[in-house]
Amino acid sequence: MTINVSFYSYFKDLTGVPSTSEQLPEGATLGELHLQLIEHFPQLGAMKNSTLLAVGVEYQPRDHPLKEGDDVALFPPVQGG
Amino acid sequence: MTSRSSRRCKVVEFPPGSMKRELILTHEPIDETALVQGRVMSGGMGAAVSFAGVVRGTEEGAAIRAIDYEAFEPMVRRQFELIFDDVEKRWPIESLRLVHRLGVVAVNEPSLWVEVIAPHRGEAFAACQHLIDEMKRLVPIWKKPVS
Repeated sequence: MTINVSFYSYFKDLTGVPSTSEQLPEGATLGELHLQLIEHFPQLGAMKNSTLLAVGVEYQPRDHPLKEGDDVALFPPVQGG
Repeated sequence: MTSRSSRRCKVVEFPPGSMKRELILTHEPIDETALVQGRVMSGGMGAAVSFAGVVRGTEEGAAIRAIDYEAFEPMVRRQFELIFDDVEKRWPIESLRLVHRLGVVAVNEPSLWVEVIAPHRGEAFAACQHLIDEMKRLVPIWKKPVS
């Protein structure tokens, strides 16, 4: 299945792109997507434990099952205000 | 039980969905005077707490000219909606207004303005503090210093 991925804040600088797409087997989880992204963009590895993950506009846990066409966002800790 | 705790239990006075909400994400300067002039309070309300978050002139010890705010706007709106829901469950708030600047905000200008209207100051201060704490934990907005 194809998952659409967007990067925000300095994750765009780390990866060099604002978005990408990843191919994953059916039933793959958000955590598995994150590990695959770190393989493709090793610069994300240093931020692995503090990375926030959302599907659509909702935060989801790492065991969240993905489905074809999901829009996933990765970003560093937020800093509003 | 403290008086504050017992006030938290009075949510029945404000059924779910009764709290007025306003969220503005804007690239324009925040006009605090106009916002205060637009305040609406019913007769039972005794507290209007407002807070302005202002851009500091230093970031990690270095002088800056401004902060550039980036947002994942659809998720910002959703996360504020969830936080507002949470505030409404916890305190008998009549009205909650929040304005957040996006883009470049110069030093000394407000980047955030919040107003909470409640029957008493305790719940108004508590709700305002909680709202901002949760925003800083959950709402996808990021700062980039401009030097």
